[in-house]
This record gives sequence, structure tokens and C-alpha cells, in this order.
Amino acid sequence: MMSGLDLHCQLILEQYREALPVIEKLKQVVLDALRSALERNGIVVTAVEARIKTEESLAGKLALKGNKYQSLSDITDILGARIITFYTDDVDRIAAIVEQMFSIDWDNSVDKRRLHDLDQFGYNSLHYICRLPDGSPQFAEYPQITRIPFELQLRTTLQHAWAAINHDTGYKTGVEIPVEYMRQMNRLAGMLELADDEFSRIRTEINDYRRRVQMLVHDGKLDDVLLDGDTFRSYLNARPFDALNKRIAAINQAEVQPVSLLNYLAIFKAFGFKTLGDIDRMRKQYQEDAYRLARHQLGNTDLDIVSSSIGLQNICIVCILQQGGGKIGLRRLFDAINGESPQNEMLADITFEQARQLPFMRQQ
Amino acid sequence: METTIQRADNQLVALFSGRLDTAAAQQTIQDVQPLLEAANTEIILDCKDLEYISSSGLRIFLTIRKEAASKGSKVIVRNISADIRQVFVMTGFISLFEIQ
Repeated sequence: MMSGLDLHCQLILEQYREALPVIEKLKQVVLDALRSALERNGIVVTAVEARIKTEESLAGKLALKGNKYQSLSDITDILGARIITFYTDDVDRIAAIVEQMFSIDWDNSVDKRRLHDLDQFGYNSLHYICRLPDGSPQFAEYPQITRIPFELQLRTTLQHAWAAINHDTGYKTGVEIPVEYMRQMNRLAGMLELADDEFSRIRTEINDYRRRVQMLVHDGKLDDVLLDGDTFRSYLNARPFDALNKRIAAINQAEVQPVSLLNYLAIFKAFGFKTLGDIDRMRKQYQEDAYRLARHQLGNTDLDIVSSSIGLQNICIVCILQQGGGKIGLRRLFDAINGESPQNEMLADITFEQARQLPFMRQQ
Repeated sequence: METTIQRADNQLVALFSGRLDTAAAQQTIQDVQPLLEAANTEIILDCKDLEYISSSGLRIFLTIRKEAASKGSKVIVRNISADIRQVFVMTGFISLFEIQ
């Protein structure tokens, strides 16, 4: 392999071998910097990866166009890093972040997404040629690290899939691909571009919807918000049962253990609730009797620990009993909260008897 | 109060017997130490012979649940009597545990 290279190219290969420990360090620095920047900005991606060009691959490149390079630092892809995103919007967002993190060689960077003519589809990716910024004190041990360029590719998962398959089919056999197959590949690139745009559009619309729901919850316009998993979560974020839980906890100076209330969504659906307004009306209507039930149950015990579901659970119990659901309704509630069990029938009986001594049941 | 730990393939079963109250809590938390260290395991808290549980006992169950969650394990409470189930309802703990 080496024997075919002229002296100039062999010199570059020698530079490569000497620089390898620094390139290894650069790879780790770049990966760490990218991962922490993504985390800081709350961007979830499919992958952050990097590879160092092998000596064999570099020798192959030099054999083809070695005279193009004066030295190793002219070869911009000795280190290649790649971020694969879920959404096409994130490519641009990450690009803006990367521009702040590294020195970008704009002359050699290329946005391949913009290179296609209007009627062309194919490889889509944003390629930046970068260097670590000069003067970073943490690299004192590796002063040459900021002189080594590296290539950073930004692309979506679908763009990556297309590029990887295109590379595989194009290079595997060494036989030139007939035009009809290239046309089919490019047709797929167009379709994936459309899919990428659709995924981004759907994400934007979902985020808009969530913001609208949060606004309605914030403004108390709960009758305008249809009940579903997302909206119920937004409602719970406003911590509507905290005040009742605190009152109940105060009965025995108990601590309150947090627990998710999302499993109550199925119960509200079974109640026939359509909007968050239905839940909030129930909360307001039954919270006083829910507190009385807790006081009746806990008051003569020394139980000083409760879960944050206690308020809502008791509201549901009172609601069922006031609506005439009786023991069967209570049993269904306990089955829904924690799975079906024959003991839930006994539990429904006990709870019913306890509640019967309270004013709201005597009024029935 | 007695606590016996039995090991199966990917399962740890704690058999509780007697009254799990404040007096028994200190010994019990030592007895359940293997449960607190178990990772990626199904942990069964078998309460067939458990006669009574106080807040101290509930806290031990809660500690087991929290440790299990942080270590990828799962906790199932099994065979609780009607009285203890009622304690779980009164405190809202019925929402914290999978009860079989």
C-alpha cells in the first residue's frame, strides 16, 4: 500500500501517525462538547458519533489526490463527527449552536441541502469544517489540537438512512450503478425529504397545541380543553389537589409521598368526563367531603404518611357515593386504581360503611 | 416480627410474619437489606402472615420501592389482608404499589 505513495504523501502519512494521540484527544473533546451542548439546550438526537480516518483510508485518499494537500492539516476529514437528529428543524438549530462552539472554515463548509436544483433530490446533509477555538487553556497539554480541522456532519435520521443505503449500494460492488437505479434512489430521497418536513410540521403543531392547552389551563378555561393524556398532565402540573392533600396530611402531621396521578385518566373516562372542566368541577364539589372522609378514616390512627393520591382518591370515592354508585362503584374504583382483586369487594364494603357515618351520606 | 428472604431465578421474595410496627422496624430494615441491593429483579413482598403494619412499616415498603426503582427492579405486594389493604387505601398507598 505504502509503496505506491510518493515521498510527499508518505510524509503526510508520517505526520498522521505522530498526530494520532492528539487526534484521539480531539475526538473525545469534540464528542464531549457536542453531547453537553445538546443536553444544555434540551435537544434529543438519534446519535452523536465520531471516527478517525484509518491509515489505510488516508493512504487511499493520498494515492488518489495526494498532491492537493500541502500537509496533514489540509485534510479536513481526518476526524469526522456526526450528529443525527430526529427533525430537520434541529439540524439548523444545532448548526447555530455549533457555530458558537467552534471556529468554522466557511470556505470549505457546505450545506448540501441547498446544492440541489429545484428538480433534483439526493444527498442532504450540512457539512461544517471546524477547529477548536484558539486560546483554550484546558488544551495546554496539546497545543497543536486547535490546528487540526475536523468535519462535522449534521443530518436527520431519514437523511442518514438514505445516505447510508446509497453509500452501501453504490460502493459495495465497484460496478457503476445504472441511471434508472440512481433515479429510483433519488426519488426516495425526495420522498424522505417530504417525510422529514412532515415530521417537523407535526411536531410544531403538537407543540402549539400543548402551549394552547397550557394557556387555557393557566387561564382557568378548563371547559374548552378536551380530556386526554396530554391535557390531563397539563392540568396536574397546576397541582390542583395539593391544598386538599396538605389538609389531609395535617390530620396526623403526616408526610406526603409524591405519586403519579396519571392512572386516574382512565377512571375519569369511565366517569364519562369530556373536558378538564368536568374534573375541576368534581374537585370543587367534593373536596370538602373528601377531607371529612380522610379525617374520619385517619383521625383515630397514628398513620403519619400518605401518598399524594389520597385527595383525588377520596374525591372519587365521595363522587361515586353521592352519584349513587354505591359499593359496586367503589369496587370498580379500587379495581381501576390497583387491579382487580376479590378483596376489593370487602374494601368497598368497609369504605361504604365508614362513609355512611358522614353527613354527605346521611343526606342521601 | 420475622422476615425471611427467599431467592428464586430472577426473584426475591420477602415473607413478613407478625406485626410490622415501630418496635420491629429497625430489625426489619436490616432484614430486607438484600432487597435494597437487588438490581433488575422482581421483588415480592409477601404479606400472607403480616398481621399489622404501622407508618414505620409503610416507610420500609416505600424505601424498598424507591431503591428498586433506582436499580431497575420491580416491587409487587402480595397476599395482604383486608385490614392492611384498608391501611393502603386510607393512606393512598394503594396507588404506590402493585398489589396482587
